[in-house]
Amino acid sequence: MTHPTPALTADLCLKCNICTAACPVAAVTDLFPGPKAVGPQAQRFRHPRLPSPDASVAWCSGCGTCTRVCPHGVAIAEINIQAKARLTEEHRPPLRDHVISRPEWLGFAGSLAAPIVNPILRIGAARWALEKVLRIDRHAPMPPFARRTLRARMSQRCVSSPPAEASNVVAYYHGCSTNYYEPELGEKAIAVLERLGCSVILPPQRCCGLPLQSNGFFPAARRQASTNIRLLHPYARAGIPIVGTSTSCTLALKHDYRTILGVGGEAADAVAQGTFDIFEFLATRLEAALDHVDFAPVEATALYHPPCQLKSHFMGTPALRVLRRIPGLKIVLSQSECCGIAGTYGLKHEKFAVAQAVGQGLFRQTAESGADYVLSDSETCRWWIEQHAGHTVVHPIELLARSMRLA
Amino acid sequence: MNDLVVVGEGLTGLFAAWLAAKRGARTTLIAYGRGGLELSSGCLHLASGASPRLGITSSRLPHPYALVGVGTVFRAIQALFDLLEASSLPYSGSLDTNLLLPTAAGETIAAAFAPHSLARSDLAEHGPMTIAGLTGFRDFDAALASRRLADRLERSIATVDLPLPGPAPRRDLYATDLARRFEDPHWREETCRAWKPQLIGVRKLGLPAVLGLRRHAVVLQAIEEALELTVFEIPTLPPCVPGLRLETVLREACLAAGVDVLEGAKAVGRVDGRGSSARASGVVAMAAGGPQLHDAGAVLLATGDLLHGGLVAQQNGLIRESVFDLPVVHNANRATWTSPHAADPQPYASFGVRVDASMHPLDDRGEPLLPNLYAAGGLLAGARRTDEGSRQGVALSTAWRAVEAALP
Repeated sequence: MTHPTPALTADLCLKCNICTAACPVAAVTDLFPGPKAVGPQAQRFRHPRLPSPDASVAWCSGCGTCTRVCPHGVAIAEINIQAKARLTEEHRPPLRDHVISRPEWLGFAGSLAAPIVNPILRIGAARWALEKVLRIDRHAPMPPFARRTLRARMSQRCVSSPPAEASNVVAYYHGCSTNYYEPELGEKAIAVLERLGCSVILPPQRCCGLPLQSNGFFPAARRQASTNIRLLHPYARAGIPIVGTSTSCTLALKHDYRTILGVGGEAADAVAQGTFDIFEFLATRLEAALDHVDFAPVEATALYHPPCQLKSHFMGTPALRVLRRIPGLKIVLSQSECCGIAGTYGLKHEKFAVAQAVGQGLFRQTAESGADYVLSDSETCRWWIEQHAGHTVVHPIELLARSMRLA
Repeated sequence: MNDLVVVGEGLTGLFAAWLAAKRGARTTLIAYGRGGLELSSGCLHLASGASPRLGITSSRLPHPYALVGVGTVFRAIQALFDLLEASSLPYSGSLDTNLLLPTAAGETIAAAFAPHSLARSDLAEHGPMTIAGLTGFRDFDAALASRRLADRLERSIATVDLPLPGPAPRRDLYATDLARRFEDPHWREETCRAWKPQLIGVRKLGLPAVLGLRRHAVVLQAIEEALELTVFEIPTLPPCVPGLRLETVLREACLAAGVDVLEGAKAVGRVDGRGSSARASGVVAMAAGGPQLHDAGAVLLATGDLLHGGLVAQQNGLIRESVFDLPVVHNANRATWTSPHAADPQPYASFGVRVDASMHPLDDRGEPLLPNLYAAGGLLAGARRTDEGSRQGVALSTAWRAVEAALP
């Protein structure tokens, strides 16, 4: 549900503490007073023209669990991210926050210089220096840049305007991570969509702006939002679904632009309503096509961790519906609300230990599950779980592609 | 397409969704936030008075117990017990006598069944007991509880303040904070070592209900062994850990049985066709991007009463059901909704949707509104669930009946 003005929902709070009980950060640290305390409760002490009364909201990781579990319609996570943005305005944020908020710049430069940068990032001394200079934790995951971006590999599909007379066209929103770090994931997603009868194009697009938003740089995040809405609206208007494999990017297009950043209007609504997470798209639009697929058996156990950002779509876990079609596959569900990284939160040296503590239960479950596959729909969750649990983690579409004999 | 969409994530909704999925039905549970279990003590109240069985069997129409039949009540409770036993969250009690349990405010409450750790506080047993407060945990006042209980029961109840090891917390502690700490064996052992000298001569110790979440059974046993005495728990202010344990078991049972649990979205009912051919075609969930249809062979409303969102009061005194806009049995004169005293029976608590024996909501003439729409739990009219102490009994038995009727 889209809340037009999150701050106004503070009055709906009954102080029941259901959000506090579910909050993965408050569960592991007393530095964070909990979503209710810094959200609807502290909101009464915030005034647009007065300084922020309390900085403890900075410990909120922005996972969104609180809003999802609130039975009274309080947009708790949205109130908190807006309060964090006020803190960023009031205090000069570290250079580090500017850097990690711009995956598009990093990705562009990093993939150009991949042969040089990738080996450097594997050197302990380099990571130590990064930690000292930028306060990016030396143990935080930093995946290698791809030498060729997805757009370079798929340049024949990059179009600048919606095609006039093709049917079943899907516009793929790959986001930064797929373009610069995991182009193979994008190729597999495209292959799956094509096998199911879609014709996939890569519309012009920019970074969704979520890292900027999470770090409190609202003006810059709004620029990303407006640009993406302008670039994607023609597709949405033409009835071409916008499908993404990065669940936090698609959530930004659907919800954050309008509710958190306040970038609304008809075009924003059209883009929001025309955007799908890939499994949402498969489960709701391509069920009939899936019925005709002869899935190859995968005799294996998969541990599935649905990311917080996926659950914040308020659509359940469509990947489960689709993966259950794979013969032989046994799916075990994560018992954790959150893996801990929450986008860029876990990269920060001062937050790293908290983020790690949030994920302990999941890391333990991963180690004890004996799973052949660990699945998660968000790139930062995958990198983080992989780093801590020592187990390869893949997007569920990769397992589906395998069962469809596409990988 | 779903076989069944359940709306609501309280005891009724979770239990119904689990039952449905266990029968092999493709089930989606849609919840606008989590339900009341986290605010409850985790006890199962079936009927107050000396004998829960008598309370159930003597119910008359239109009470939901009379609609579903006594056998259904007992079968539903047995099904839940089997799950709880298998999930290491065993309950005790009986249908013949109510347990008399202490509350954090020093009141007593009757329950047919309670988690082991709460049932042990049964005040019908007369041995000496000590109630402990935990230093720095403000959501439980041992002195208040024991003083009021002692007055009420005319017996002496000792209190003790027990320290929590480690640095002083930098904020208020919630019950869930402590419950998680007790799951850490090192912290737990250190705590028990610190407590032991203060508990010499104590045979039965009451603690606020914070002894572990998922691994509660292990925690309880370890503490009793370390302290060499009997420990019972008293439920605290929300978030209430025994209720949270029950909710966690039920939600995980749903997920393991294949229920698609969709949290966060408000649901709007959808009806296709008109007149006698009208059917509930599913529920539209208000998802992040926009409305999303979840089509279904049948829809079960488990959205609760006026306090839980199942009923919505309008300013003119009219009350409607929140998902399908169903008619609600109520008095439109707002002045009559509440009693002058908070502890008295409240008229608004009996407002609800009228159903037949198959849990179909009925129109004003007593005819089923839609052939594949069902309602259960707190949403139903005909019971004064708080006054008569039947809240969980009504939830479980009507959920059972509705699933049976919806998935023949």
